[in-house]
Amino acid sequence: MTNSLNDIRHTKSMIFIGSNAAEAHPVSMQHILHAKEVNNAPIIVVDPRFTKLAAKASEFVRIRPGSDCAFIMGLINEIIQKGWEDKEFIRTRVAGFAEMAEIATHYTPEEVENITGIPAAQTRKVAKILAMNRPTSLTWCMGGTQHHIGSSITRAFCILQLVLGNMGKSGGGTNIFRGHDNVQGATDMCVLSHTLPGYYGLSDGAWKHWCRVWDVDYEFIKGRFKEKKWMNAKGFTLARWYEGVLQEEKIEQYTPIKAMIQWGCGSNSNSQYDRVVKAYNKLDLFVIVDPFPTMAAATCTTDNVYLLPCSSQYETSGSVTSTSRQIQWRFKVVDPVGNCKDDYQIMAELVKRLGFADEFYKNIKETPEDITREINKGTLTIGYNGQTPERIKKHMENWHTFDIDTLQARGGPCDGDYYGMPWPCWTEEHPGTPILYDISKPVAEGGLPFRNRFGLEKTYDMSGRTENLLAADGVANPGSEVKGGYAEFKDVVPGTNWKTDLSQKTLQEAIRRGMAPFGNARARCVVWTFPDQVPVHREPLHSPRPDLIATYPTYEDQPNHFRVFTRFKSEQDPELAKKFPFVLTTGRMVEHMGGGAETRSNKYLAELQPDMYAEINPVTANNMGIREGDMIWIESPEGGKVRVKAFVTERVDGKTIFMPYHFGGMLKGKSLIGEYPAGHAPYVVGEPANVCTNYGYDIITQIQATKDGLCKVSRA
Amino acid sequence: MAGKKKISIRKGASFSSRITLNPKLARRSFLKLSAATAALTGVSMTGRMTGTARAAKVKDPGKAYPGSKTVKTICSYCAVGCGIKAEVQNGVWVRQEVAQDHPVSRGGHCCKGASAIDMVTSEKRLTSPMKRVNGKWTKIGWDQAMGEISAKLTSIRDTDGPDALHLNGSAKVSTEMAYLQRKFAAFWGSNNVDHQARI
Repeated sequence: MTNSLNDIRHTKSMIFIGSNAAEAHPVSMQHILHAKEVNNAPIIVVDPRFTKLAAKASEFVRIRPGSDCAFIMGLINEIIQKGWEDKEFIRTRVAGFAEMAEIATHYTPEEVENITGIPAAQTRKVAKILAMNRPTSLTWCMGGTQHHIGSSITRAFCILQLVLGNMGKSGGGTNIFRGHDNVQGATDMCVLSHTLPGYYGLSDGAWKHWCRVWDVDYEFIKGRFKEKKWMNAKGFTLARWYEGVLQEEKIEQYTPIKAMIQWGCGSNSNSQYDRVVKAYNKLDLFVIVDPFPTMAAATCTTDNVYLLPCSSQYETSGSVTSTSRQIQWRFKVVDPVGNCKDDYQIMAELVKRLGFADEFYKNIKETPEDITREINKGTLTIGYNGQTPERIKKHMENWHTFDIDTLQARGGPCDGDYYGMPWPCWTEEHPGTPILYDISKPVAEGGLPFRNRFGLEKTYDMSGRTENLLAADGVANPGSEVKGGYAEFKDVVPGTNWKTDLSQKTLQEAIRRGMAPFGNARARCVVWTFPDQVPVHREPLHSPRPDLIATYPTYEDQPNHFRVFTRFKSEQDPELAKKFPFVLTTGRMVEHMGGGAETRSNKYLAELQPDMYAEINPVTANNMGIREGDMIWIESPEGGKVRVKAFVTERVDGKTIFMPYHFGGMLKGKSLIGEYPAGHAPYVVGEPANVCTNYGYDIITQIQATKDGLCKVSRA
Repeated sequence: MAGKKKISIRKGASFSSRITLNPKLARRSFLKLSAATAALTGVSMTGRMTGTARAAKVKDPGKAYPGSKTVKTICSYCAVGCGIKAEVQNGVWVRQEVAQDHPVSRGGHCCKGASAIDMVTSEKRLTSPMKRVNGKWTKIGWDQAMGEISAKLTSIRDTDGPDALHLNGSAKVSTEMAYLQRKFAAFWGSNNVDHQARI
């Protein structure tokens, strides 16, 4: 999120697209409804389903799954055609606007209707609501990202906010509601196959930086790899690691994957789940570290699987980063129960036995505080520097002193700080940055311009135009020594830049001069390294509209996509919709979380929501002779099938089937309760929706496309 | 939703003194817990139900756990980051309360947050390392488990190379632990590491 949940209280309108906050982030609703009631802010909900959030909407927009980019580009086009864009914001702080606007002209309200099913008049109406009620807070979740064009869809959201001038403003922003409790923190630490912590990437410079932070010789780390080239090569992802085991698609690695450690990661949230199960059973070694067995334990039946009982997060301590970028300390409530060990203990034991404990823990004596300090030392890119363990704990102890509307402490020991010191928090004196890219405040007081990351100027392929990428003259934070755009800081300490100067003198020098360490630049509408430089619609791989494939085809197949061959064009079969006539989409329910290993083992939650189901429209159900509560089969083009209860409801339209993805413990109609360790099967089992979610991955990130596949339905 | 089925909840000595175990009454114990937290949730609660629960709270003098202490902590479900006040007596988490003064949640909880205590008290929790022996789950000690796992990992590394291991890490651990997971992959010698943010 660029802003915070509390900051939504200041918005004048809200648009949620692919987010069902009322179920997925219920406690955020108090801030959302505050804006609705007090500011009279309209709530626009764009979703294939009439969700519980849609029930609170002033405008519900039913969209065909996977067509979000077309709708947003349509809004952008309509706003520009009507002259409602924020011309001054664009002139001073945005790059590539003209090139983007040219492409947006394709998305007339009528063409948007053709692609998305949204009436042209409604696109016009929504554009007007946004233009007349600024600032708008824009929120998306996995409904926006889990598509083969997810990276284009999310960029379109950002561009819409740039065009409206809603970035860097209280009440505005791109406010992605993150899912799991610490998915922001874990993302920032980059438990990711394409980058080192702090989004440093995998370049030699990135490795050398982190080796300095770890206080180990770069040659030592290099020696740990098979060859140096593997240090710089993106690894397999969570979405497709199992292909490295199965090798049914060509892999680009010198060895198949033979061992897997799955640590705090429910297995049935993977699409193509029956293929995942196949891979589990082919591994030489499979280690599951979790407080509960997870469905992986029930589906892996070979003798090479181990279960290590780690404690829950209430039996250990450490920091967690909320969706608002706030860092909170999760104090330990009780010691690990039974014979459990906490995560740190298990890691320490493993590292010791593998023989690199001395190097790994060189500067880590006190756990977890010394780890926080190591993060403070090295994570300069996103400003995880000023949030020391002492300060985080002080915020927790004094959380009552923070103002609801501003999140700033009013008096007391944290006076002036923003709650949780949202990153970037450049120094131990810095209050945190409550709103990203806000140039109305000095940098030392939480202000920030756009980052200078992509050079000083660019000549666009599509227009031949050359543009200065720094912010325009006169646009900078109050107190900035340079009254306009400037480049990122380097050579304050010779041979280093703001990202690599471990003395952090560069950060302090920038702040002293009223400037941001990363420069003051423009936000881009054109990303010249992406296959689609400006976001455009492309039909889902498995499209219910074969007539649109010729105009909006997917990408070429990718031979080495995170080390595995990934099909795009060869997978887009126009005939598929004849046999699989319904669109399958998935989502959350309030009572469960993720793959549900925790919540289905929680006696209160298990009772509240004990049944897996599929939502089906009454007309569809009546035509097929399906009644509420009947068992039905949902089947995917890949042969995945689940047997679930029919929930007959107008939440979905006649072309769409919805399933929650939290269930597990059954496979293709069969209960696996007997395969769990005795006494440890969850209270509630059900078919995992992800057995049916289709093949398909984002072109940039390889996120799985679970929201716009196809399926067929039959009576069970 | 489409029908409710009865959940069979086995008696567990660890919490039998606190929790009503009759499945019919389990709902009431849930409501005691959650209504007291002014839950904002998709779960429907009728006025009669919450009324009962409030009455239960008033009757509860707050003295049920003498000598207990309160620990402020953060809910481990979603990224809103709600505050929780956990009541601990003799090292046992006995009760939870909402954090009315938390600047983001302001006393709000959904049904998951209101049930956070069962993350610790659930009888479904694993309590011992296990492995499958001839297909059957068998309890083993930590020393044996870590010994066998590290020996196999070392052997795979020696034979096939470090990229023969994939680590699926977590968005459900602390930031410090997530950092260690990424650092572990680096020291192991592979970029085959990922977590839920990918999906």
